[in-house]
Amino acid sequence: MAGSALRRLMAEYKQLTLDPPEGIVAGPISEDNFFEWEALIAGPEGTCFEGGVFPARLVFPPDYPLSPPKMKFTCDMFHPNIFADGRVCISILHAPGDDPMGYELSAERWSPVQSVEKILLSVVSMLAEPNDESGANVDAAIMWRERREEFNAIARRLVRKTLGLPP
Amino acid sequence: MQLLLSSICMALTSAVIGNAYYQKQQFYPAVVYITKSNASMAVIYIQFFVIVFMFGKLLRKIFLGTLRAAEFEHLLERFWYALTETCLAFTVFRDDFNPRFVALFTVLLFLKSFHWLAEERVDFMERSPVLGWLFHIRVGSLLTLLGILDYVLLIHAYNSTLVRGPTVQLVFGFEYAILLTVIASTAIKYVLHAAEMRTDTPWENKAVFLLYTELVIGLIKVVLYILFVVIMAKIYALPMFVFRPMFFTIRNFRKALNDVIMSRRAIRNMNTLYPDATPEELRQSDNICIICREDMINHSKKLPCGHIFHTTCLRSWFQRQQTCPTCRLNILRTPAVISTAMPRAGDEAAAAAAGNAAPDAAGAQPAGGLPVPAPAAGVDGNQARANGPLLAGQALPPSFADLFGDANGLPNLARLSVPPPPVMPMLSPFMMPPQFGYFSPMPPPPIPLDLTKFTDEELRAMEGHQREQIEQRLKLLQNINLMLDSAGIMMSQYQTLASRLQLTAVPPASAAAPSVEGAAGSGVYDKPSTSATAMAQLEAHQVTPTATAPVAPPLPAEKVTIEDLGADADEDDVPSTATEAVSLPNSDADFEENSSELGELRKRRLKFLEERNRFANEHTQAE
Repeated sequence: MAGSALRRLMAEYKQLTLDPPEGIVAGPISEDNFFEWEALIAGPEGTCFEGGVFPARLVFPPDYPLSPPKMKFTCDMFHPNIFADGRVCISILHAPGDDPMGYELSAERWSPVQSVEKILLSVVSMLAEPNDESGANVDAAIMWRERREEFNAIARRLVRKTLGLPP
Repeated sequence: MQLLLSSICMALTSAVIGNAYYQKQQFYPAVVYITKSNASMAVIYIQFFVIVFMFGKLLRKIFLGTLRAAEFEHLLERFWYALTETCLAFTVFRDDFNPRFVALFTVLLFLKSFHWLAEERVDFMERSPVLGWLFHIRVGSLLTLLGILDYVLLIHAYNSTLVRGPTVQLVFGFEYAILLTVIASTAIKYVLHAAEMRTDTPWENKAVFLLYTELVIGLIKVVLYILFVVIMAKIYALPMFVFRPMFFTIRNFRKALNDVIMSRRAIRNMNTLYPDATPEELRQSDNICIICREDMINHSKKLPCGHIFHTTCLRSWFQRQQTCPTCRLNILRTPAVISTAMPRAGDEAAAAAAGNAAPDAAGAQPAGGLPVPAPAAGVDGNQARANGPLLAGQALPPSFADLFGDANGLPNLARLSVPPPPVMPMLSPFMMPPQFGYFSPMPPPPIPLDLTKFTDEELRAMEGHQREQIEQRLKLLQNINLMLDSAGIMMSQYQTLASRLQLTAVPPASAAAPSVEGAAGSGVYDKPSTSATAMAQLEAHQVTPTATAPVAPPLPAEKVTIEDLGADADEDDVPSTATEAVSLPNSDADFEENSSELGELRKRRLKFLEERNRFANEHTQAE
């Protein structure tokens, strides 16, 4: 009997394959290891990330779903809630105990009720509406708040880059 | 790259050895030549490390096969930390720094890295779908080998310390003891995982065993570290190099201890208080445990909030957090209410309902939070029961009676000067027994909200960041504010009463205070809630230093709160209660002032009452 984490990940994979949400593709990188997933996220329409396809990697802890997975974009990203190395900083990915930024309510934190699908959907909405109070990338947050045009230009350049187009 | 480096190293070594032979022709002089030459020795040392590295690779191939990316990453990370700590350790033992010493540390690091790898492998067991017999043989033999090596080296360090007194072997002995605990916990984990794999059903107690293993091993480690630091500090210097691992060990131990305590409580609650979900409830819900996403056929429990989960899933979650996974109700702080009224609908349905229910909840809440006539009467009744006999059975001294007359006469005068409005029956104190002239029929504090009785929708309406949810929360806070205000007003009345009683007869006063408090505490607030406890504290705080100092609440503030309360309570009560409350501190003051000032005060009071009545008049006419 495999571990409960594995069974749950398999169930989620099945669910995501049978009924994929719009703009999101996700699955294990290899079927040998269900604890590392790759996800492709389409930039939400009507935002500066529109048209882009952003690859990300999800790493699940052995005690998933009791602990949240870690998520990291594997392409260049410039966004207030994404660290320069691609790590995503949203409250749904933080366990209720720890609070890296010290402002999150426990109601928005990780709980076993959450799922890969919900995480990815929150990431999509994070792309659409950055939270400029959590400074994972302070430069991006300031630029988003004060020089939106510049921010949009960088985002559009990133979109072209993910599509393999010349900037 | 590695191949290139090792071949370069190999070439260098052969060059050095070849050169020595070429120059000295014989074995012994050649060896002497090499050991005398620093450059040659450097090459030999490097070759030594390369050989150790290659040996490590060989062992890894045998026992572990190829490393996963994560394993390699963790290994590198821990290796650098360990290397730094080793260098720090060198500073303590700089006196006996020699090649043998370096070799011993190399062996230690070498073994350590295999311990880490074994740990990682065993952790990996839980997440891999299939494991062949090769895996078990490898892990089994690796654990055995490492355990034996640790034990032998520990015994060696122990013996050499006994024979030669404290040397650097102390450090090694300690390190191997720690490694032995690591091996022990890894082996226990391995056995647990392997046992679970053999069965087809999830093993309920595994998580508990794991938790206790962690606790016990953590305790042993903490004891070892503390012993080591104490011994080292006595013999050598403070061992800086163990501070980092010691810090992490202590933190982990604390966490494990906390987890054990909290989860024990939560799990005990779960086993004893929460009902098993009935088949009917399971049928009503979507029958899937939201934690593991599997059907709930066997044991499942229903939390006080109505959400149903597998017993096993809940148990492992309670080891992390003692909240409901769905609605985050803190189950340790919630008295177990066996709620049958709230079968859980499907999650989506509930979420959808939350939106619709928000306005309903908004409507329902003030009704629950503010005084409704029935409980108000109940409170009055309580007061009457508590205070009536006390006052009635008491022989009132003349001064007291005088005061009564004074207080009762006042509204009379007011009535003479200002024609009373038709709808103000409460204005005349004669309508009730004279003792109660001092107990203004204030609207009693609203019944505190019993949070456990909230429905799911109401609770959900207060979660989140949407505007309506924030409004809900604000409303609740306002209700609490109202309760506190009214509690304060009641308090000031109790105080006037207490001071009066004390002035007239001391013993009854001391009896009065607890009885009043008791009535308020037991009669209405049978459910513990924050506002009730706050009130109790307030009471306790204000009653005990019995009121020799008259507390006159600021009038304007009082007026506002009373009117706030009155808006939802009986309209007719408002003016009269206000006047009563106002007249109380004044009459109290009267008693303490000498009689020459009485007239002056009376005039002032009259004027005030006049204003009040006019205001009330306008108010009722506006109605």
